[in-house]
Amino acid sequence: MENTINFGIDLGTTNSAIAKFVKGEVVIFNNPLDYGRATLPSVVSYRKDKILVGTQAKQYLERDPKNVLAVFKRKMGTAESYKIKATNESITPIQLSAEVLKQLKTFVNTGDKLNAVVITIPASFDMIQSNATKEAGHLAGFDQVVLLQEPIAASLAYANMKKAKEMEDGQWLVYDLGGGTFDVALVRIKDGEMKVLDHEGDNFLGGADFDQLIVEKLIVPKLSEQYSFDDLYTELTSASGRLNGVYHKLCHLAEQAKVRLSAVPSAEIEVNGFQDATGEDVDIEVTITRSEFNNLIKPHIDRTLEMIKTILTRKSIRSNDVQYTLMVGGSTYIPFVRQRTEEVLQIPVNCEIDPTTAVAIGAAYYAATKPKEINKPSTEASKVNALSIRASYNKASKEKDELFAARVTGNTDGLFYRIVRQDGGFDSGLKKLSERISEDLPLVDSAFNYFVLTVYDGQNNVVDTDMEPITINSGFAISGQPLPEDICLEVDDLDHPGSTRLVPIFERNAILPARKTATLPLTRNLIKGNEHDRIWINVYEGPQTSLPSANKLIGVIEVTGKMITRDVSKGSDIEITISMSESRDLTVAGYLTMSDQEFKNVFNPKVRDTNLDLLREHVGDLADQLDDELEAATEKEEYETASQLTKLKKQLAKVGEEAENLSDDDVTDKRYQLEDQKRKIAQELDAATKDKRINKIKELYTKVKEECQELLDTGGNDHERNTFRNIVAQEPSFLASNNPLRVQEKSDELQSIMAEIKWRTPDFLMGIFKWLSEQQHRMNDQSQAKSLVDAGRFASESENWARLKEINYGLLDLLPKQAREQATGKIGFGL
Amino acid sequence: MITEAPRVPKLYIDILDQVFEIEKKLATIEQSNSIGRNINRLREMMATIDKDAGLVYESPLGEVFNETRNDVEASISGESAENLVINEVIKPIIRYRKGGVNIIARKGVVVVQSAQP
Repeated sequence: MENTINFGIDLGTTNSAIAKFVKGEVVIFNNPLDYGRATLPSVVSYRKDKILVGTQAKQYLERDPKNVLAVFKRKMGTAESYKIKATNESITPIQLSAEVLKQLKTFVNTGDKLNAVVITIPASFDMIQSNATKEAGHLAGFDQVVLLQEPIAASLAYANMKKAKEMEDGQWLVYDLGGGTFDVALVRIKDGEMKVLDHEGDNFLGGADFDQLIVEKLIVPKLSEQYSFDDLYTELTSASGRLNGVYHKLCHLAEQAKVRLSAVPSAEIEVNGFQDATGEDVDIEVTITRSEFNNLIKPHIDRTLEMIKTILTRKSIRSNDVQYTLMVGGSTYIPFVRQRTEEVLQIPVNCEIDPTTAVAIGAAYYAATKPKEINKPSTEASKVNALSIRASYNKASKEKDELFAARVTGNTDGLFYRIVRQDGGFDSGLKKLSERISEDLPLVDSAFNYFVLTVYDGQNNVVDTDMEPITINSGFAISGQPLPEDICLEVDDLDHPGSTRLVPIFERNAILPARKTATLPLTRNLIKGNEHDRIWINVYEGPQTSLPSANKLIGVIEVTGKMITRDVSKGSDIEITISMSESRDLTVAGYLTMSDQEFKNVFNPKVRDTNLDLLREHVGDLADQLDDELEAATEKEEYETASQLTKLKKQLAKVGEEAENLSDDDVTDKRYQLEDQKRKIAQELDAATKDKRINKIKELYTKVKEECQELLDTGGNDHERNTFRNIVAQEPSFLASNNPLRVQEKSDELQSIMAEIKWRTPDFLMGIFKWLSEQQHRMNDQSQAKSLVDAGRFASESENWARLKEINYGLLDLLPKQAREQATGKIGFGL
Repeated sequence: MITEAPRVPKLYIDILDQVFEIEKKLATIEQSNSIGRNINRLREMMATIDKDAGLVYESPLGEVFNETRNDVEASISGESAENLVINEVIKPIIRYRKGGVNIIARKGVVVVQSAQP
């Protein structure tokens, strides 16, 4: 067990935070229910059956003040208590602070049992207020509570950041301007002892006030100028006002603009989504400049500076005697605050620490120096007999929420439970535990929803139970049926002009329903009105590794020049969306971006769609392919294959003849029979020649691998060698797969490595440069080409290869388009 | 207990916010157009930033709001705080999805109002 306290808490008026000292560094714990934020709003909300602390409570603050409480820190140590309407109980500021502290305990994810802590208090807290804070700590389950003044905590955070082992004697100001409160303190260190000499503050000044000022003084006047409103500000701010909802939106936008103004000289606020008094739509962009904003907050900042002057006068201290003003609190990010403070006080400002977490960090550093005085287990409550919880709920659901019910056995007195969804989107709040509990759990659609039920004692210590996480599968893969075959799209094979290949859209065993969109550049022009210009969108069912004609064509859309509203160029995109329902209805849609037209068709498997034109075209292609293969087989004296192919050729000729003779409006089953026969022939051709194709690709792979290895030996870096090794390590799997596409993919990856290396190799760069120099007369900008060629010569002579590479790229850009394509093909772009 | 979303570049979040804004504005354009396609494409690109993972946004407009909801930051407008419904989405909820895993990457920012007349 650690023997120093190590945990520090900034129990703030508006926000709180918790940090821990671990091996010389301080870790700030994030708020698990508020992504990316380390702070917890110091707000507590009471409902009949639960207590909520933090952001969730803060949202109800303005509208439900009888049940939601904030800024209670100001009342610490007073006899005042808050009457809660929902529970009809009176709650003291101490109890409220204890709730915040208990919530902060849940931030700690290190498994520590928290029984000792340093809590910070304002410099202004007197004995009674300090004791009240201590009591809140005890109430939250801390046996040992050590208090530390906030300005000292901030100063400690700074000293530790600077790694100052011992601080020199001197004095400085701590200027703390947060979300809703302002504090300033004069801190002095003398003979190693740090203390607060004097302090001032304003409990009603902070960043939120600035946001409201932006709305009131900048946005409202600009809107009133442009549109007709009777009294816009009242309409916005009155709870019964027509535009009260808009007010919150404007405050949010103002806050964002305020943050942006810290970085840029002006920020735009887009105001829209409502009407003025005459019914005209409001749609305006309000620009706020930094100087407008600065003028707006100037009186408030000056007021804080007056307080500092009061302190300095009271203590008879001159500006020169103060080393710096340490800036703390989120609002000190505002440049004007920093600038104005320095300008008026003539004391340098110090903005080196994170203003939002400095106090908690300082508290943790202090905690690391304070020995733990207790070593007994933190509470008795955590030792209660483990509880047993029997839960019942549907493990799969398509509802928006699912009822969770559980029966608890064991002593539930004084215990609470809380259910939180794993993504943080749902938190039941702390609720009293009883023998039977039930809760509606909201589900995220199409996902596994995990919930965790945790039981706590009265001080938020976790109580052991046998409860497993609650898992509910919402609409995700429920009763979905897997696909028996790959669904593929036929595309032009750019590596083998004139032939096509399949790309998988849905792979075998994918769960239906499924939907996918692929965007592909067109490889041909479509001229409006020309019916010979065509695009085919062919969807096949069958193995992705087969040839298209060997698979079953399940959907086809033909787009001709006659169907388009304007010419569509090669290189423009076609967006193909393919979806398949659970009942296997296939929807294919092709959208031409250039003509902004969509062609869509639903293919029902019961009604097979066979396009005669396409069938004839396929038969023709297949015949050409058969001839090529037959020739190759005869040449290589593979007589067995040749005889098989000859047989196929005869069969195909018959299919072709029958297809030619069939009229386009034939209503018999003939076309389907022919389609089937053609497919069978293609499958047999595929089987007979597959070995040949894969062997060719494997040969290519081996050749590329050898070349790549050679290049790596001479000029490869570690990263490239690693990539190469990874590919080679996968060889047993992809070579054994006999999948031509997979092997091809690996060859391509190796070629990419080669291109990377080549572009660093002097010989290659000089070779390219030589070729480009010879093309100088064709280049688009002669004078630029000349200066680049001159520079290239110089770079070659001085062996500045990085420069030569840039020059080569520059020269490539100057080539006419056609030549550029040729050159990039030659030098291996786009591998 | 709660799975934190991986650190998502702010740029992605900003882009999604803009896509959402465009989608909202698009709904007010009466003339037929195909801008929706470009929006869908942007959404799909963001949903597959990595091979099998990405970011999606969702608008909780019209959904019920109560204090157990932690996927949005709400401002309550109007006088009543009972039977609240989300009636304006300033920023959508952004989720990080990877397979069946679904984590909130950024809370939504909404205005809620009582559904009672």
